[in-house]
Amino acid sequence: MNYQEQRFSFTGKGSEYFRIWIVNLFLTILSLGIYSAWAKVRRMQYFYRNTRLNESSFDYHGTAIAILKGRLIGIGLFAAYYAALQIVPILGLAIGLGIAVIMPFLLVASFKFRLYNSSYRGLRFGFTGTIKDAYMVFLVLPISTFFTLYLLAPFTHQRIKAYQHNNSRFGQSAFSFNAEVGGFYKVYFIALIQFLLIMGLFSAGVFYLLKDNMGAVPKEQMIVMIVIAVYAVLIIAGLLVVPYFISSIQNLVWNHTSLGANRFSSSLSTGGLAWIIFSNFIFIVLTLGLFKPFADIRMARYRMEHMAMLPAGNIDEYIASEQQKIGAAGTETAEVFDIDIGF
Amino acid sequence: MKKVNASYFDGHSAHQQAVALQFAHGMLQVQGAELIREEALVNVRITAKLGSAPRLLYFPDGAHCEVNNHTDFEAMLQEAGLRPQSILSRLEDSWRHALGATVLSIAVFTGLFYWGLPWMAERAAARVPASVTLTIDSHFLDTIDNGLMQTSKLSKARQKLLRKRFDGLRDANGLQRHHLEFRSSKAIGANAFALPGGTVVVTDQLVKLAKNDEEVMAVLAHELGHVSERHPMRQLLQSSVVGLAMTWYLGDISSLLAAAPTLLLETSYSRDFERRADRYAANMLRMNGISPALLADMLEKLESSHFGHDARRGAKQGAKENQELFSRIGNYLSTHPDTAERIRNLRSEGAGK
Repeated sequence: MNYQEQRFSFTGKGSEYFRIWIVNLFLTILSLGIYSAWAKVRRMQYFYRNTRLNESSFDYHGTAIAILKGRLIGIGLFAAYYAALQIVPILGLAIGLGIAVIMPFLLVASFKFRLYNSSYRGLRFGFTGTIKDAYMVFLVLPISTFFTLYLLAPFTHQRIKAYQHNNSRFGQSAFSFNAEVGGFYKVYFIALIQFLLIMGLFSAGVFYLLKDNMGAVPKEQMIVMIVIAVYAVLIIAGLLVVPYFISSIQNLVWNHTSLGANRFSSSLSTGGLAWIIFSNFIFIVLTLGLFKPFADIRMARYRMEHMAMLPAGNIDEYIASEQQKIGAAGTETAEVFDIDIGF
Repeated sequence: MKKVNASYFDGHSAHQQAVALQFAHGMLQVQGAELIREEALVNVRITAKLGSAPRLLYFPDGAHCEVNNHTDFEAMLQEAGLRPQSILSRLEDSWRHALGATVLSIAVFTGLFYWGLPWMAERAAARVPASVTLTIDSHFLDTIDNGLMQTSKLSKARQKLLRKRFDGLRDANGLQRHHLEFRSSKAIGANAFALPGGTVVVTDQLVKLAKNDEEVMAVLAHELGHVSERHPMRQLLQSSVVGLAMTWYLGDISSLLAAAPTLLLETSYSRDFERRADRYAANMLRMNGISPALLADMLEKLESSHFGHDARRGAKQGAKENQELFSRIGNYLSTHPDTAERIRNLRSEGAGK
């Protein structure tokens, strides 16, 4: 039996989400930030329910109280760390180290929370990764990466994605991941070459423009110029290399992920993503931040509409599994420490 | 009785069934080709309207329905005596309320930026322990010694003399811990600045620009004004908070891009900080028998040393356009705005002596 490719679609609208965003932002201000947990639930629900596959939507089930508890724990840890750092710097260092040591545990908790609270067609997702493996990929490998001058970075990245995807479930069915390390090295290598090329061309250009009156430029202005040039290079690189990197990694990861016998496909393009990032940035700056909700919708739409499922069987045949409730502390603590957990 | 089309999922499998929903006598009836189900309405959790996203009806056993026809579903809820929309959804639906929330939110953030943040930074700066501010100073000195500035070429005797006069400066309330450092820097030129821990750095170029030691003291008194009101620490706290907020807000886009605007926002002390440091310096100088007008003279000299001689040199070399461009950038990044006004104020303070 032949099944047709099922494209993901996103039906959220900027003008509609703007109103939801601003009203919830204002309530957050009025409540001195407490309402932000409810605002987050509403935001997640808006994005999940507007994501569709095969005529059905996703849903988010996290509760505001669980999120609020997690945030309080996170802020408490952060405050303890800062207070300790002010009073006894060594103690702060010890706590910082302690946080690094419990981070894998927090990450696993947050994956469990995020996935368990996501559903599609009434079936929950789930995460079954072990703490032991988490210590390997989120502590041992990153430390090794640091001590090998980041030569191991693509390898670590591949292991992290493999850990996340191989341990994710939908109902009773398991996701699996089969992207090779070589693919990650290739993306990292090309991104590095692009960055070096941009830097080289830029410095050559600046040198060419200035070679006739090098001596005429006073040192003080030279410094100003160098600072501006460094930022220009970083921004150009951010607008060209970063979209290449994000789109290539996402394509690599999802083109090698399957759910049972069903495969996925992702077809983000560097140019398409670069345009969204660039135009979003310009509009956010011009509107002093008010464009942010529109930007979020554009980004979600672009990412979703370039994802598809290639079914090998009938989606109807998936069945639910028994799972337990999981505390929200993990996900929110990880959020306070600004660790992005995408899935 | 109204009917609405929906999709039904039993919670055990991903199987999707087309059904019709109907309310009757406090019951929800679900009818499909292979399914008839009734559930008391009080047991069904109907999600609040959220834009045009589908509305979901959850049953106690984990089954649910997905409704996409909002108009008919709201009419059906109304008919059954239920509220079609929550208060929150109604607020979110209306442009009038969204506009109100926008205006009020902007007002709050503007207030926080102009009054709340400086107020909190002022209080927080007073509570930062000396050990921390001293660490910041030594880190900063390490950084500038790494290429930007060189060791001073002033003779030991001259440094000792200037340090003695600096340490001898008195103000009305008793000074904070402070300490003078000498550096040479062609890159920065004639300059002096204060650090959070009370370290004041002065360049050889500034000492040479001054026609006597009293003029050097006039500039140092201004820097001590910054020290006494903890301007460096307050500035550091304010820019860190703004930077953190920017990174968080623009985080999804790119933290690289987030760094650029904060750099431009945070290069200068506010006019208020400069005016207060000037006023402090004027009082201090009078107390120590130096005319505040000397600070005005120094400001004038500093201004022309920074922009004037660059322009002269540039014109000589025939690269005028470049020079003008850089001058303008330099002006924009200048840390002392409104210099003319400050000079006028200091002159009048000097005249009143």
